[in-house]
Amino acid sequence: MTQLYRPAPGTPVEDLETPCLILDMDALDHNMDVMAAYYEGRSSKLRPHSKNHKTPALAHRQIRLGGTIGGVCAAKVSEAEVMVHGGIPSVFITSEIREPLKIERLCTLAQQAEMLVACDDADNARDLSRAANAQGVELGVVIEIETGLRRCGVQDAAQGVELAKAVQSMPGLAFRGIMSHQVIPAMPEREDRVTEGRRVIQGVIDLKDAIEAAGIPVDIVSTGETWSYDVAGEIPGVTEIQGGSYLVMETGYGYMTDFHYAGKVLTTVISAPRPGVAVGDAGQKTIATLRGAPEVEGRPGVSVESMDPDHVVFHVDEGASLNVGDQVTLIPSQQDATVSRWDRFIGIRNGRVEAVWDIQARGCHN
Amino acid sequence: MERPVFQPPTTPVEELDTPALVVDLDVMEQNIRTLHAAFDGSKASVRPFITPHQCPQVAHVQANAIGAGDAGNTSIAATTVGEAEVFSQAGFSSILVANQIVTRSKISRLCALASSNRMSVAVDSPGNVATLSEAATAAGVSLGVLVELESGLGRCGVIPGEAAVQLAIEIARSPGLEFIGVMAIPPVETATEAAMRQRLQPALDTRDLLEREGLPGNVSVAGTHNYNVAAGIDGITEVQAGSYPLMDFRYCQLRPEFQPAAKVLTSVISHPIDQSAVLDAGHKATGPDRGTAVLEGIPGAAANRFSAEHGVVDLEESAFARLRPGDRAWLVPNDLAMCLNQYDYIRAVRNGRLEGYWPVAARGRFT
Repeated sequence: MTQLYRPAPGTPVEDLETPCLILDMDALDHNMDVMAAYYEGRSSKLRPHSKNHKTPALAHRQIRLGGTIGGVCAAKVSEAEVMVHGGIPSVFITSEIREPLKIERLCTLAQQAEMLVACDDADNARDLSRAANAQGVELGVVIEIETGLRRCGVQDAAQGVELAKAVQSMPGLAFRGIMSHQVIPAMPEREDRVTEGRRVIQGVIDLKDAIEAAGIPVDIVSTGETWSYDVAGEIPGVTEIQGGSYLVMETGYGYMTDFHYAGKVLTTVISAPRPGVAVGDAGQKTIATLRGAPEVEGRPGVSVESMDPDHVVFHVDEGASLNVGDQVTLIPSQQDATVSRWDRFIGIRNGRVEAVWDIQARGCHN
Repeated sequence: MERPVFQPPTTPVEELDTPALVVDLDVMEQNIRTLHAAFDGSKASVRPFITPHQCPQVAHVQANAIGAGDAGNTSIAATTVGEAEVFSQAGFSSILVANQIVTRSKISRLCALASSNRMSVAVDSPGNVATLSEAATAAGVSLGVLVELESGLGRCGVIPGEAAVQLAIEIARSPGLEFIGVMAIPPVETATEAAMRQRLQPALDTRDLLEREGLPGNVSVAGTHNYNVAAGIDGITEVQAGSYPLMDFRYCQLRPEFQPAAKVLTSVISHPIDQSAVLDAGHKATGPDRGTAVLEGIPGAAANRFSAEHGVVDLEESAFARLRPGDRAWLVPNDLAMCLNQYDYIRAVRNGRLEGYWPVAARGRFT
């Protein structure tokens, strides 16, 4: 089998084969420190979402730095397998798991780690209960409530209370709490984020109050993400925040200036065929573009004109220059969809390779 | 990488773990027959372009079809050196890297492949000719070189005509390099046959100029969108095509004689209100950058909103009862290359049953 590119530690960044997904280690450390400092000493904690980095080593680093609940979120069973097999002791799958094969795998993971799973339907809870009971494990169930995303979730507090009661009565299941996802509102002003965050999270708090009024304790109230990390974290009753984007960052979250851009893609100019045009070797297979083209870092007068799956075409203003062989740094607009196209992060500090991490859960769709 | 549960052959397709990238082999083989029939008796041959699918098993079916050069032909076109390395391991020995390779390390990998394969590469600048020549000479190998012509794509390539001739002359006198022709990649677009011919004409004119200079060569053009036009033009020697075996939604609109063979099988994980159902396939399982995937075959249902991990289907009243939790649904990717870029395995299926897992072996070989 031919081997994937893995540069030796110490390799200067200008010698890297491109395209290449790099992590600016200073920015990465800064982003983790900001989160850890915020949640350290607070009653609410971060449960980092592993779907953003898909890398157990980074999950361990997040947990080690503090401020977390001591576990992670995952979007898929196969992603959770990578995290549990990589030594993470508690994983919350923030999606509904319905297929029998996946439920069996989920229960098998519960032999090795604390497993929590989102649920919005009593039939699903019965399937989870049957499988957990048969394997002799306990699954923690977290009821998802819809709070504006128009996706999964119970529709109101009454449905949530009914489902909580049903879950509580089922063998093999422990009712652990509630969760919601929100639309990311792209609000640059912190004041607006506070107002919007409180508004959407109120629906979750109302459900918590209603379930507790029915005599069922609610351990976990999981909500909020990078845009609301310092809003959700201050709302009484919220216990866990599902942040993930803050780690790698993206221009889509550029307004969250507490965090710095860590994830970038290096490309090399392979053609400069006409005045004002240069072509680089990083295409859409390497950078997610659904929410906009990547930004060019540190080259005034150079911008992304278009992309195809295997190329990026640069517009070069008069007065600026870009030559064959030049290396260009691109900052993606969307980090998790970019990371999910790569097998490796190359960590860079002071212009040299410091670490190489396999993105072990890349491609874990099921 | 992807961690599928490897289910046994003959497993019914609807029992596959989801999301799953499924290829219907009968549809794929029919697509291959359809395109290759245009090359039966043509002077042009098909050079399978592997970048859209990255799968050696698919490329072998293409290479064994009529019109793919001589019997036992193992020629392909690729985009990166990494793809060429993977396909060399899979038994392909005449590999065109239809792209510019400019950095020292990649050129040295290209030369390493050339010691046991027939390697060729596209160029569009004299500086690149010099670095290729130097490296090939040092490695004691010969590289075939094509001049890429700008043909309406607005990407790489020299302007057809005199500039291309000058570059060809430069290649021909560079040690370690062999000038083998010109390459044109016209844009994928809706166009009349006359317009397609017009896009390709400058390449033919350039070839005529080159012949007058004593530099005969091939004319290698892309792709699936104009295959029948290109196959019928005297002077075109090969067509680099790669989308046609598996196809995608966008390409099938342009070329309705092909059917989509690659689709994403997905499961419903929630049906929270009558009007919507939620699928377990989102952006990461479909590759949406060039257009989002299209839900197939359920009247009154449309997959209108995707997020990273989920797809949300809007249901009209007539479809309220459809797509219950656990039900399967099919998504047709809008762009094949972007979708296969997200998977490590094709689930190869025939008559509704699994035949095997085919590695998308060159996935992620961006370098």
